[in-house]
Amino acid sequence: MPATKAAHPEAMAPAVNGPTRTAPPMQPSSWKTSPRMKQYSRFGLTGWIYLLASFAAIYIVYGLGSGPEAYAQVQALLANPLVIAFHLLCLISVGFVLVRFFGLFPKAQPARIGPAKPPPQPVLKAMLYGLWAGATLVLSVILAGGIF
Amino acid sequence: MTTRRKFVVTRFDPDKDEVPKTQEYEIECQDDWKVLDAINFIKDEVDSTISHRWSCRMAVCGSCGMMVDGEPKLTCKTALDSYGDTVEIEPLANFPVVKDLVVELEGFMGKFQQVKPWIMNAKEEAEKKAASTMKEGTYRQSAEELMAFKQFSMCINCMLCYSACPVVSNEPDFLGPAAIALGHRYNMDTRDGGQDERNQIFREEGTVFSCSYANECSEVCPKGVDPAAAVNQAKFNAVIDWATGLVVSRPAPQGDE
Repeated sequence: MPATKAAHPEAMAPAVNGPTRTAPPMQPSSWKTSPRMKQYSRFGLTGWIYLLASFAAIYIVYGLGSGPEAYAQVQALLANPLVIAFHLLCLISVGFVLVRFFGLFPKAQPARIGPAKPPPQPVLKAMLYGLWAGATLVLSVILAGGIF
Repeated sequence: MTTRRKFVVTRFDPDKDEVPKTQEYEIECQDDWKVLDAINFIKDEVDSTISHRWSCRMAVCGSCGMMVDGEPKLTCKTALDSYGDTVEIEPLANFPVVKDLVVELEGFMGKFQQVKPWIMNAKEEAEKKAASTMKEGTYRQSAEELMAFKQFSMCINCMLCYSACPVVSNEPDFLGPAAIALGHRYNMDTRDGGQDERNQIFREEGTVFSCSYANECSEVCPKGVDPAAAVNQAKFNAVIDWATGLVVSRPAPQGDE
Protein backbone atom coordinates (compact mmCIF):
# COMPACT_ATOMS: atom_id res chain seq x y z
CA MET A 1 0.00 0.00 0.00
CA PRO A 2 1.56 3.37 -0.94
CA ALA A 3 1.95 5.88 1.86
CA THR A 4 -1.15 8.05 1.68
CA LYS A 5 -2.57 10.65 3.99
CA ALA A 6 -6.20 10.51 5.01
CA ALA A 7 -8.49 13.07 3.40
CA HIS A 8 -11.09 14.86 5.54
CA PRO A 9 -13.28 12.03 6.91
CA GLU A 10 -16.39 13.74 5.52
CA ALA A 11 -14.91 14.36 2.04
CA MET A 12 -17.46 13.43 -0.65
CA ALA A 13 -19.62 11.74 1.99
CA PRO A 14 -23.33 11.29 1.20
CA ALA A 15 -25.86 13.46 3.04
CA VAL A 16 -27.30 10.29 4.57
CA ASN A 17 -25.10 7.25 5.15
CA GLY A 18 -26.05 4.17 3.15
CA PRO A 19 -26.46 0.68 4.58
CA THR A 20 -22.88 -0.32 3.71
CA ARG A 21 -19.96 0.62 5.93
CA THR A 22 -17.39 2.53 3.87
CA ALA A 23 -13.62 2.96 4.18
CA PRO A 24 -12.54 6.56 4.80
CA PRO A 25 -11.37 8.69 1.85
CA MET A 26 -7.62 8.98 1.25
CA GLN A 27 -5.59 11.65 -0.52
CA PRO A 28 -3.79 10.71 -3.74
CA SER A 29 -0.39 9.17 -2.99
CA SER A 30 1.10 11.05 -5.97
CA TRP A 31 0.76 14.44 -4.28
CA LYS A 32 4.08 14.04 -2.45
CA THR A 33 6.00 13.42 -5.68
CA SER A 34 3.98 15.13 -8.41
CA PRO A 35 5.91 18.09 -9.92
CA ARG A 36 2.61 19.97 -10.41
CA MET A 37 1.67 19.62 -6.74
CA LYS A 38 5.18 20.60 -5.68
CA GLN A 39 4.76 23.81 -7.70
CA TYR A 40 1.38 24.38 -6.07
CA SER A 41 2.88 23.85 -2.59
CA ARG A 42 5.72 26.26 -3.36
CA PHE A 43 3.13 28.78 -4.54
CA GLY A 44 1.38 28.45 -1.17
CA LEU A 45 4.66 28.63 0.76
CA THR A 46 5.51 32.02 -0.76
CA GLY A 47 2.72 33.40 1.46
CA TRP A 48 5.09 33.04 4.48
CA ILE A 49 7.74 35.06 2.66
CA TYR A 50 5.24 37.86 1.97
CA LEU A 51 4.17 37.79 5.61
CA LEU A 52 7.80 38.30 6.71
CA ALA A 53 8.24 40.99 4.04
CA SER A 54 5.16 42.80 5.36
CA PHE A 55 6.71 42.87 8.87
CA ALA A 56 9.86 44.37 7.31
CA ALA A 57 7.74 46.97 5.49
CA ILE A 58 5.99 47.95 8.75
CA TYR A 59 9.40 48.28 10.42
CA ILE A 60 10.64 50.55 7.60
CA VAL A 61 7.53 52.74 7.75
CA TYR A 62 7.89 52.95 11.54
CA GLY A 63 11.55 53.99 11.07
CA LEU A 64 10.54 56.66 8.56
CA GLY A 65 8.15 58.20 11.07
CA SER A 66 10.58 58.09 14.01
CA GLY A 67 13.17 60.62 12.95
CA PRO A 68 16.48 60.64 11.01
CA GLU A 69 18.35 58.45 13.51
CA ALA A 70 15.77 55.67 13.40
CA TYR A 71 15.72 55.85 9.61
CA ALA A 72 19.51 55.61 9.49
CA GLN A 73 19.23 52.45 11.58
CA VAL A 74 16.69 51.06 9.10
CA GLN A 75 19.03 51.83 6.21
CA ALA A 76 21.88 50.09 8.01
CA LEU A 77 19.69 47.05 8.52
CA LEU A 78 18.69 47.01 4.86
CA ALA A 79 22.39 46.88 3.93
CA ASN A 80 22.86 43.71 5.98
CA PRO A 81 23.73 40.76 3.66
CA LEU A 82 21.09 38.57 5.30
CA VAL A 83 18.40 41.17 4.62
CA ILE A 84 19.61 41.56 1.02
CA ALA A 85 19.43 37.77 0.64
CA PHE A 86 15.89 37.83 2.03
CA HIS A 87 14.91 40.53 -0.46
CA LEU A 88 16.38 38.44 -3.27
CA LEU A 89 14.24 35.55 -2.04
CA CYS A 90 11.20 37.88 -2.11
CA LEU A 91 12.04 38.87 -5.68
CA ILE A 92 12.32 35.24 -6.77
CA SER A 93 9.02 34.44 -5.01
CA VAL A 94 7.22 37.32 -6.68
CA GLY A 95 8.60 36.27 -10.07
CA PHE A 96 7.51 32.67 -9.49
CA VAL A 97 3.99 33.71 -8.44
CA LEU A 98 3.64 36.13 -11.35
CA VAL A 99 4.67 33.51 -13.91
CA ARG A 100 2.15 31.07 -12.43
CA PHE A 101 -0.52 33.77 -12.27
CA PHE A 102 0.10 34.91 -15.85
CA GLY A 103 -0.19 31.30 -16.99
CA LEU A 104 -3.54 30.72 -15.27
CA PHE A 105 -5.17 34.16 -15.44
CA PRO A 106 -6.09 34.32 -19.16
CA LYS A 107 -8.32 31.24 -19.13
CA ALA A 108 -10.11 32.48 -16.01
CA GLN A 109 -11.57 35.42 -17.95
CA PRO A 110 -15.31 35.25 -18.60
CA ALA A 111 -16.29 34.87 -22.27
CA ARG A 112 -17.75 38.38 -22.17
CA ILE A 113 -18.54 41.13 -19.69
CA GLY A 114 -21.61 42.88 -21.05
CA PRO A 115 -20.77 43.75 -24.65
CA ALA A 116 -16.99 43.56 -24.04
CA LYS A 117 -15.02 40.44 -24.92
CA PRO A 118 -11.51 39.78 -23.61
CA PRO A 119 -8.73 39.48 -26.21
CA PRO A 120 -7.51 36.00 -27.22
CA GLN A 121 -5.57 34.22 -24.47
CA PRO A 122 -2.07 34.52 -26.06
CA VAL A 123 -2.65 38.25 -26.58
CA LEU A 124 -3.83 38.63 -22.98
CA LYS A 125 -0.77 36.74 -21.73
CA ALA A 126 1.52 38.92 -23.85
CA MET A 127 -0.23 42.02 -22.45
CA LEU A 128 0.38 40.83 -18.88
CA TYR A 129 4.09 40.25 -19.51
CA GLY A 130 4.27 43.59 -21.30
CA LEU A 131 2.66 45.30 -18.32
CA TRP A 132 5.13 43.59 -16.00
CA ALA A 133 8.10 44.67 -18.12
CA GLY A 134 6.71 48.22 -18.35
CA ALA A 135 6.11 48.49 -14.61
CA THR A 136 9.62 47.14 -13.89
CA LEU A 137 11.12 49.69 -16.27
CA VAL A 138 9.19 52.60 -14.77
CA LEU A 139 10.13 51.55 -11.22
CA SER A 140 13.77 51.15 -12.23
CA VAL A 141 13.82 54.66 -13.70
CA ILE A 142 12.20 56.12 -10.58
CA LEU A 143 14.61 54.28 -8.28
CA ALA A 144 17.62 55.24 -10.40
CA GLY A 145 16.52 58.86 -10.29
CA GLY A 146 16.11 58.65 -6.53
CA ILE A 147 19.47 57.02 -5.97
CA PHE A 148 21.66 59.02 -8.35
CA MET B 1 3.71 -9.64 -27.61
CA THR B 2 3.03 -9.90 -23.88
CA THR B 3 4.74 -8.52 -20.78
CA ARG B 4 4.49 -9.93 -17.26
CA ARG B 5 3.34 -7.27 -14.83
CA LYS B 6 2.51 -7.15 -11.14
CA PHE B 7 -0.67 -5.34 -10.08
CA VAL B 8 -0.97 -4.14 -6.50
CA VAL B 9 -4.71 -3.76 -6.05
CA THR B 10 -6.42 -2.17 -3.05
CA ARG B 11 -8.99 -4.50 -1.53
CA PHE B 12 -11.67 -3.66 1.02
CA ASP B 13 -14.55 -5.85 2.11
CA PRO B 14 -16.86 -3.87 4.40
CA ASP B 15 -18.05 -7.13 6.01
CA LYS B 16 -14.56 -8.34 6.93
CA ASP B 17 -11.95 -5.59 6.76
CA GLU B 18 -11.43 -2.77 9.22
CA VAL B 19 -9.24 -0.87 6.76
CA PRO B 20 -8.32 -1.40 3.10
CA LYS B 21 -5.40 -3.72 2.32
CA THR B 22 -3.55 -4.61 -0.87
CA GLN B 23 -3.38 -7.79 -2.87
CA GLU B 24 -0.86 -8.59 -5.59
CA TYR B 25 -1.56 -10.28 -8.91
CA GLU B 26 0.97 -11.18 -11.58
CA ILE B 27 -0.38 -11.65 -15.07
CA GLU B 28 0.78 -11.71 -18.67
CA CYS B 29 -0.45 -8.49 -20.30
CA GLN B 30 -0.76 -7.88 -23.99
CA ASP B 31 1.19 -4.80 -25.02
CA ASP B 32 -1.85 -3.02 -26.47
CA TRP B 33 -3.93 -3.40 -23.30
CA LYS B 34 -5.44 -0.52 -21.40
CA VAL B 35 -5.32 -0.65 -17.59
CA LEU B 36 -8.98 -1.68 -17.54
CA ASP B 37 -8.22 -4.70 -19.74
CA ALA B 38 -5.77 -5.94 -17.11
CA ILE B 39 -8.26 -5.42 -14.27
CA ASN B 40 -10.95 -7.22 -16.25
CA PHE B 41 -8.51 -10.08 -16.95
CA ILE B 42 -7.76 -10.40 -13.22
CA LYS B 43 -11.49 -10.36 -12.46
CA ASP B 44 -12.33 -12.92 -15.17
CA GLU B 45 -9.37 -15.29 -14.92
CA VAL B 46 -7.62 -14.87 -11.57
CA ASP B 47 -9.84 -13.54 -8.79
CA SER B 48 -13.56 -13.07 -9.36
CA THR B 49 -14.05 -11.44 -5.94
CA ILE B 50 -12.60 -8.09 -7.07
CA SER B 51 -15.20 -5.34 -7.42
CA HIS B 52 -14.76 -2.47 -9.88
CA ARG B 53 -16.98 -0.32 -12.08
CA TRP B 54 -16.80 -0.13 -15.86
CA SER B 55 -19.17 -0.02 -18.77
CA CYS B 56 -18.47 1.46 -22.20
CA ARG B 57 -14.67 0.92 -22.61
CA MET B 58 -14.51 4.00 -24.86
CA ALA B 59 -14.12 6.93 -22.44
CA VAL B 60 -17.74 7.95 -22.67
CA CYS B 61 -19.54 6.57 -19.60
CA GLY B 62 -17.04 7.79 -16.98
CA SER B 63 -17.44 4.66 -14.82
CA CYS B 64 -13.91 3.25 -14.69
CA GLY B 65 -12.05 6.06 -12.93
CA MET B 66 -9.41 4.72 -10.54
CA MET B 67 -6.04 5.73 -9.11
CA VAL B 68 -3.26 4.28 -11.25
CA ASP B 69 0.15 4.68 -9.62
CA GLY B 70 -1.36 7.38 -7.42
CA GLU B 71 -2.94 9.48 -10.20
CA PRO B 72 -6.64 9.57 -11.08
CA LYS B 73 -7.11 7.98 -14.50
CA LEU B 74 -9.90 6.74 -16.69
CA THR B 75 -8.62 3.17 -16.90
CA CYS B 76 -10.23 2.38 -20.27
CA LYS B 77 -8.27 5.25 -21.82
CA THR B 78 -4.96 4.68 -20.04
CA ALA B 79 -2.43 2.55 -21.93
CA LEU B 80 -0.68 -0.02 -19.79
CA ASP B 81 2.61 0.31 -21.63
CA SER B 82 3.15 3.77 -20.11
CA TYR B 83 3.65 2.11 -16.69
CA GLY B 84 6.42 -0.02 -15.23
CA ASP B 85 6.44 -3.69 -14.28
CA THR B 86 4.48 -2.96 -11.09
CA VAL B 87 1.24 -1.00 -11.29
CA GLU B 88 -0.68 0.17 -8.22
CA ILE B 89 -4.45 0.31 -8.59
CA GLU B 90 -6.50 2.08 -5.91
CA PRO B 91 -10.06 3.39 -5.66
CA LEU B 92 -10.52 7.08 -6.49
CA ALA B 93 -8.92 9.26 -3.82
CA ASN B 94 -11.03 11.70 -1.77
CA PHE B 95 -14.05 9.36 -1.91
CA PRO B 96 -15.34 6.92 0.71
CA VAL B 97 -14.77 3.35 -0.49
CA VAL B 98 -17.72 0.97 -0.71
CA LYS B 99 -15.79 -2.13 -1.78
CA ASP B 100 -12.36 -2.73 -3.35
CA LEU B 101 -12.20 -0.22 -6.24
CA VAL B 102 -15.80 0.98 -5.97
CA VAL B 103 -16.41 4.38 -4.38
CA GLU B 104 -19.50 6.01 -2.87
CA LEU B 105 -21.25 8.23 -5.46
CA GLU B 106 -24.09 9.76 -3.42
CA GLY B 107 -22.04 12.72 -2.15
CA PHE B 108 -21.03 13.55 -5.72
CA MET B 109 -24.59 13.37 -7.03
CA GLY B 110 -25.79 15.61 -4.19
CA LYS B 111 -23.33 18.32 -5.17
CA PHE B 112 -24.63 18.35 -8.73
CA GLN B 113 -28.18 19.05 -7.61
CA GLN B 114 -27.06 22.10 -5.65
CA VAL B 115 -26.05 24.04 -8.79
CA LYS B 116 -29.43 23.47 -10.51
CA PRO B 117 -27.97 22.00 -13.71
CA TRP B 118 -30.95 22.55 -15.96
CA ILE B 119 -32.35 25.38 -18.09
CA MET B 120 -34.34 27.72 -15.88
CA ASN B 121 -36.96 30.30 -16.87
CA ALA B 122 -36.44 29.44 -20.55
CA LYS B 123 -39.86 30.70 -21.61
CA GLU B 124 -39.29 34.19 -20.22
CA GLU B 125 -35.86 34.35 -21.81
CA ALA B 126 -37.27 33.28 -25.18
CA GLU B 127 -40.03 35.89 -25.01
CA LYS B 128 -37.53 38.58 -24.05
CA LYS B 129 -35.29 37.66 -26.97
CA ALA B 130 -38.21 37.40 -29.41
CA ALA B 131 -39.41 40.83 -28.31
CA SER B 132 -35.98 42.36 -28.75
CA THR B 133 -35.34 40.85 -32.17
CA MET B 134 -38.96 41.07 -33.42
CA LYS B 135 -38.84 37.39 -34.39
CA GLU B 136 -41.10 34.56 -33.41
CA GLY B 137 -40.67 30.81 -33.40
CA THR B 138 -37.76 28.61 -32.44
CA TYR B 139 -35.33 30.02 -29.92
CA ARG B 140 -32.09 30.23 -31.85
CA GLN B 141 -28.55 30.07 -30.55
CA SER B 142 -25.62 31.13 -32.66
CA ALA B 143 -22.48 29.00 -33.11
CA GLU B 144 -20.53 31.60 -31.16
CA GLU B 145 -22.98 31.43 -28.27
CA LEU B 146 -22.74 27.64 -28.27
CA MET B 147 -18.94 27.67 -28.32
CA ALA B 148 -18.90 29.84 -25.19
CA PHE B 149 -20.03 26.86 -23.08
CA LYS B 150 -19.69 23.78 -25.27
CA GLN B 151 -16.48 22.46 -23.71
CA PHE B 152 -18.12 22.45 -20.27
CA SER B 153 -20.87 20.20 -21.69
CA MET B 154 -18.31 17.50 -22.53
CA CYS B 155 -17.95 16.38 -18.89
CA ILE B 156 -18.72 12.66 -18.43
CA ASN B 157 -18.95 12.80 -14.62
CA CYS B 158 -15.99 10.46 -14.15
CA MET B 159 -15.09 12.22 -10.86
CA LEU B 160 -11.34 12.31 -11.60
CA CYS B 161 -11.35 16.06 -10.97
CA TYR B 162 -12.74 15.52 -7.45
CA SER B 163 -10.08 12.92 -6.84
CA ALA B 164 -7.31 15.31 -7.87
CA CYS B 165 -8.58 18.42 -6.07
CA PRO B 166 -6.76 19.44 -2.85
CA VAL B 167 -9.75 21.52 -1.74
CA VAL B 168 -12.18 18.59 -2.05
CA SER B 169 -9.76 16.64 0.11
CA ASN B 170 -9.91 19.18 2.93
CA GLU B 171 -13.27 20.98 2.66
CA PRO B 172 -16.20 18.56 2.61
CA ASP B 173 -18.69 21.32 1.75
CA PHE B 174 -16.85 22.41 -1.40
CA LEU B 175 -19.10 21.95 -4.42
CA GLY B 176 -16.14 20.78 -6.47
CA PRO B 177 -14.93 21.23 -10.05
CA ALA B 178 -17.45 19.23 -12.10
CA ALA B 179 -20.54 20.60 -10.34
CA ILE B 180 -19.38 24.21 -10.61
CA ALA B 181 -18.36 23.71 -14.25
CA LEU B 182 -21.83 22.36 -14.97
CA GLY B 183 -23.50 25.29 -13.21
CA HIS B 184 -21.28 27.67 -15.15
CA ARG B 185 -22.19 25.85 -18.37
CA TYR B 186 -25.88 26.69 -17.78
CA ASN B 187 -25.03 30.25 -16.77
CA MET B 188 -23.29 30.65 -20.13
CA ASP B 189 -26.21 29.18 -22.06
CA THR B 190 -28.16 31.99 -23.75
CA ARG B 191 -31.42 30.03 -23.40
CA ASP B 192 -31.08 30.00 -19.62
CA GLY B 193 -32.52 32.59 -17.28
CA GLY B 194 -31.20 31.25 -13.98
CA GLN B 195 -27.92 33.16 -13.76
CA ASP B 196 -29.03 35.29 -10.81
CA GLU B 197 -30.00 32.24 -8.82
CA ARG B 198 -26.84 30.30 -9.62
CA ASN B 199 -24.57 33.29 -9.03
CA GLN B 200 -26.23 33.63 -5.64
CA ILE B 201 -25.30 29.97 -4.96
CA PHE B 202 -21.77 30.59 -6.23
CA ARG B 203 -21.30 33.43 -3.75
CA GLU B 204 -22.12 31.17 -0.81
CA GLU B 205 -19.50 29.50 1.37
CA GLY B 206 -17.92 26.32 -0.04
CA THR B 207 -18.40 27.22 -3.67
CA VAL B 208 -16.29 29.02 -6.24
CA PHE B 209 -14.28 31.11 -3.79
CA SER B 210 -13.05 28.02 -1.95
CA CYS B 211 -11.11 27.07 -5.09
CA SER B 212 -7.39 27.80 -4.70
CA TYR B 213 -6.74 27.32 -8.43
CA ALA B 214 -4.39 24.36 -8.10
CA ASN B 215 -5.51 23.53 -11.65
CA GLU B 216 -5.22 19.79 -10.95
CA CYS B 217 -8.83 19.18 -12.08
CA SER B 218 -8.02 20.42 -15.57
CA GLU B 219 -4.76 18.47 -15.67
CA VAL B 220 -6.44 15.11 -14.99
CA CYS B 221 -9.63 15.60 -17.02
CA PRO B 222 -9.74 12.81 -19.64
CA LYS B 223 -12.13 14.75 -21.89
CA GLY B 224 -10.21 18.00 -22.21
CA VAL B 225 -12.79 19.95 -20.23
CA ASP B 226 -11.20 22.76 -18.27
CA PRO B 227 -13.06 22.80 -14.93
CA ALA B 228 -10.50 25.16 -13.36
CA ALA B 229 -11.28 27.72 -16.06
CA ALA B 230 -15.02 27.28 -15.42
CA VAL B 231 -14.64 27.73 -11.65
CA ASN B 232 -12.54 30.86 -12.04
CA GLN B 233 -14.76 32.33 -14.76
CA ALA B 234 -17.66 31.68 -12.38
CA LYS B 235 -15.77 33.68 -9.72
CA PHE B 236 -15.56 36.67 -12.07
CA ASN B 237 -19.21 36.34 -13.05
CA ALA B 238 -20.35 36.02 -9.43
CA VAL B 239 -18.47 39.20 -8.50
CA ILE B 240 -19.74 41.12 -11.55
CA ASP B 241 -23.27 39.92 -10.79
CA TRP B 242 -22.93 41.07 -7.16
CA ALA B 243 -21.57 44.47 -8.20
CA THR B 244 -24.31 44.91 -10.81
CA GLY B 245 -26.89 44.03 -8.16
CA LEU B 246 -25.71 46.98 -6.07
CA VAL B 247 -26.80 49.47 -8.72
CA VAL B 248 -29.54 47.64 -10.65
CA SER B 249 -32.59 46.23 -8.89
CA ARG B 250 -33.64 42.77 -10.01
CA PRO B 251 -36.90 40.86 -9.63
CA ALA B 252 -36.75 38.04 -7.09
CA PRO B 253 -36.13 34.57 -8.59
CA GLN B 254 -39.44 32.95 -9.59
CA GLY B 255 -38.36 29.34 -9.15
CA ASP B 256 -37.56 26.65 -11.67
CA GLU B 257 -39.39 25.79 -14.85
